[in-house]
Amino acid sequence: MATRADRPPALALKGIAKNFGAVAAVRGFDLDVAEGEFVTLLGPSGCGKSTTLALIAGFFPADAGEIHLRGKHVEGLPPFERDIGVVFQDYALFPHMTVAENVGFGLRMRKVAKAEIASRVAEALDLVKLGGLGERRPLQLSGGQRQRVALARALVIRPAVLLLDEPLSNLDLKLREEMRAEIAALQRRLGITTVFVTHDQGEALAMSDRIAVMNGGAIEQIGKPADIYERPATKFVADFIGRTNFLPARVLARAGEIVDVECLGRRFAVRDARAGVGPALLAVRPERAQLSPSPDGLDFEAEVAQVLYLGAKREVHLAGPGGVELVVDAANLGDGAAPVPGARVRFAAPPEACLLLPA
Amino acid sequence: MTNSHASGPWRALRWTVAGIYVFVFAPILITASVSFNESNRSLFPPRGFSLRWWDRAFSPEWLEPLLFSLQLASLTAAICVTLGTPLAFALTRWRFRGRMAVAALTLGPLMMPALVTGVGLLQLFQIAGARGSIGFPALLAGHVVISLPFAVRCVGISLQGMPHNVELAAMSLGARPWRVQWEIVLPLIKTGVIAGAVFAFVHSFTDVNLSIFLAAPGQIPVTVKIMGFLEFGFAPTLAAVSVITLVVPLIVVGIVQWFFGLGDFIYGDAR
Amino acid sequence: MGTQAGFWRWAALAVPLGVLVFFFALPNALLLSASFLKSEAAVLTDELTLENYREVFESRLFRGAILRTFVVGVGVGLLDVALAFPLAYFLVRTTSRWKGVLIALSLAPLLASVIVRTYGWYVILNRNGVINESLMGFGWIETLLRLMPSTGAIIVGLAHALLPYAVLTLMSALNAINPNLERAAMSLGASRLRTFVHVVLPLSMPGLIGGFLLCFSIAISAYATPAILGGPATQTIATQIYVNMMTLLEWALGSALAVVLIVSSMAVLLLTSRVGAKKAAP
Repeated sequence: MATRADRPPALALKGIAKNFGAVAAVRGFDLDVAEGEFVTLLGPSGCGKSTTLALIAGFFPADAGEIHLRGKHVEGLPPFERDIGVVFQDYALFPHMTVAENVGFGLRMRKVAKAEIASRVAEALDLVKLGGLGERRPLQLSGGQRQRVALARALVIRPAVLLLDEPLSNLDLKLREEMRAEIAALQRRLGITTVFVTHDQGEALAMSDRIAVMNGGAIEQIGKPADIYERPATKFVADFIGRTNFLPARVLARAGEIVDVECLGRRFAVRDARAGVGPALLAVRPERAQLSPSPDGLDFEAEVAQVLYLGAKREVHLAGPGGVELVVDAANLGDGAAPVPGARVRFAAPPEACLLLPA
Repeated sequence: MTNSHASGPWRALRWTVAGIYVFVFAPILITASVSFNESNRSLFPPRGFSLRWWDRAFSPEWLEPLLFSLQLASLTAAICVTLGTPLAFALTRWRFRGRMAVAALTLGPLMMPALVTGVGLLQLFQIAGARGSIGFPALLAGHVVISLPFAVRCVGISLQGMPHNVELAAMSLGARPWRVQWEIVLPLIKTGVIAGAVFAFVHSFTDVNLSIFLAAPGQIPVTVKIMGFLEFGFAPTLAAVSVITLVVPLIVVGIVQWFFGLGDFIYGDAR
Repeated sequence: MGTQAGFWRWAALAVPLGVLVFFFALPNALLLSASFLKSEAAVLTDELTLENYREVFESRLFRGAILRTFVVGVGVGLLDVALAFPLAYFLVRTTSRWKGVLIALSLAPLLASVIVRTYGWYVILNRNGVINESLMGFGWIETLLRLMPSTGAIIVGLAHALLPYAVLTLMSALNAINPNLERAAMSLGASRLRTFVHVVLPLSMPGLIGGFLLCFSIAISAYATPAILGGPATQTIATQIYVNMMTLLEWALGSALAVVLIVSSMAVLLLTSRVGAKKAAP
């Protein structure tokens, strides 16, 4: 976990837990977010990510654990005494106030002088590219514009931590991708510590310094986007981010960093640091698999079930031994190389593309 | 019948509907026209034209109960929204053990015939030895009770229509709880409060069934007074006064609709 | 979400709840108790008795009034639903730009006190009224019809007064029906009539029943219209309550009659909520 040496984390959660009745929404985990870092809580609905965000904001008290904001204990404090800025999924703009009044609200609560409020609001609106729209009302704005107002409102108060709860979910695809890049750029420019909640892995991978993949109230894996994608620690993470082919396998022996693996009749060696001897899961991403033989890696025969033409690539669905369903992303190199349904082909992956996961 | 509005069945429907509108407005328009009748009898079509019944309708004899009704209705409206707002908050947002009971008590007057409430109040004041309070105080109590559900419902509707996270947003920006109520919640329920006041006003102004039991000499709502005179015949003056009792709520509702809009509150929660 | 103590909440509720308890719950309780007390020479005694109820259910006058009240209720309910259904359907489906105005117009009569409306019916229905005059004028009748006072006149007058309530209920019920259902039926070959009979009507049933019950319950407790359009021979529970309370000062009897009215209203309410629950079930 890369924290800048000698600086306390901007946000530290220790043993944080929350139950709703019999359901443990957040199971007691730790998380440190460094100053200026962009951390994403990623997971399916019900995994506890929004609850965690609400605990950080103080919308309800945690059942256990501590929350430190820039070294200060805040777990007992109400939201209006925490130095946070929140962007809600439905933006939560005040309908009876103008855009400028919305953005200036937090400054007003902090008793900033009127003149300064005006200038900082104008500055914030320019930052989110809404300069000049201060006198409009939220109802007169489009979804994308409202989202920017919500962002400006949270940023203008220069909070210690910026909390974003699935802010892009209500936007259409194009706008989402545009805002994704803008928010990431803005965050880097301003250097505000950010915790971002989403169920969209594309957003997480594109925007974050680190991703915490959550499942069932706990963090399954936390790390840089590339680490999460290329070295998932569990089946859940491998399945949730990107797509993965899973095959039953067996670790036979270990010699230092190299292990002997047997999978569907093939024996080969794979580089792995953790796996113990015994049953395991072999994971291969569709884009790393190939339809041509791999002499020192995974290699067996499969039958083509279906080919989906997606322009830049073809998604080749195969039926392997024992009926296991497999997918290979085959780059489109011209029609001559296209596999045909019913054909018998090889499903293969070089050892570098094979990942071992707990069974 | 849905798409092709030029079709036979749809046209038949339009004519039927026109007929129904005639059914609805004819008696009201007839009453109005009768008030301009020359002679002292309620005839339609009116024979001759005269304004003398209108002259009488504005005489002190009739202006007094009219003003009385206006005062009563205004005070009722004000009290209803004052008492109804906390109730609306309690029923839509708070969770507490007696909630079902409070809901039943609040909506009760809507379910009970106003007549019955009137009779009960008459007995209450009699038994409490407050015979002298029959009249304005008793009427006020009765009108507030039967109009309160309207105020509660309207404020409740605007509370429910409030965007979900605005209070959390305000708190996250540093607003303390009382600030949140004052700056965020109250302005947003403004239309609900106004609609509630209007409905309470109209309900009080047009009430007959409760008021006939609680009126006292000199303290008579105009509707009750008209009923009393009807026993002696259907003089055109009564027609004129009746039209006035229609015009007053119409103006009130018209003004509020123009400035604030009442649409959301008519369907209520049955949307 | 309140971080304040529950104390302030209850304090805020104390006055409105107090008003409701004192001026609503208490009077009704008094009514209930008065109905069980003996009345001598128009004065309530402390003696418990069922005399009042016996008289209510045995006296011909009262039984007639009760029967008439229910007949009126049913008649008003049916008439109102029959009139409101086409109107509500039209208002919900029309694409005219006058839609808002038309809806407002259909509800406007609610602003008029019952007096205004009933007055007009008097002018229409009485011996020298509009109907008689025009029928005579066309030569369709020889002698003047005696249309009022009568139970029929009461039904028509009340139906007229309560129509907006039925319209409101039906509009809300019809709004909940997805217009695509009618299009689906027609795309599957159903004519407009069959679509109406097989799709719209069944789905409107809960709304129709709800409208009927609402108009019924308001009609049975109406006073002004039966008083104006009815006469000594056409009494309803409401008019009898008035007579007993205000003229005869027979408070015990009046209370007993009122209790009968309350019980009927409650029964209707229960029925209405059952229908509503059934609608929510599938």
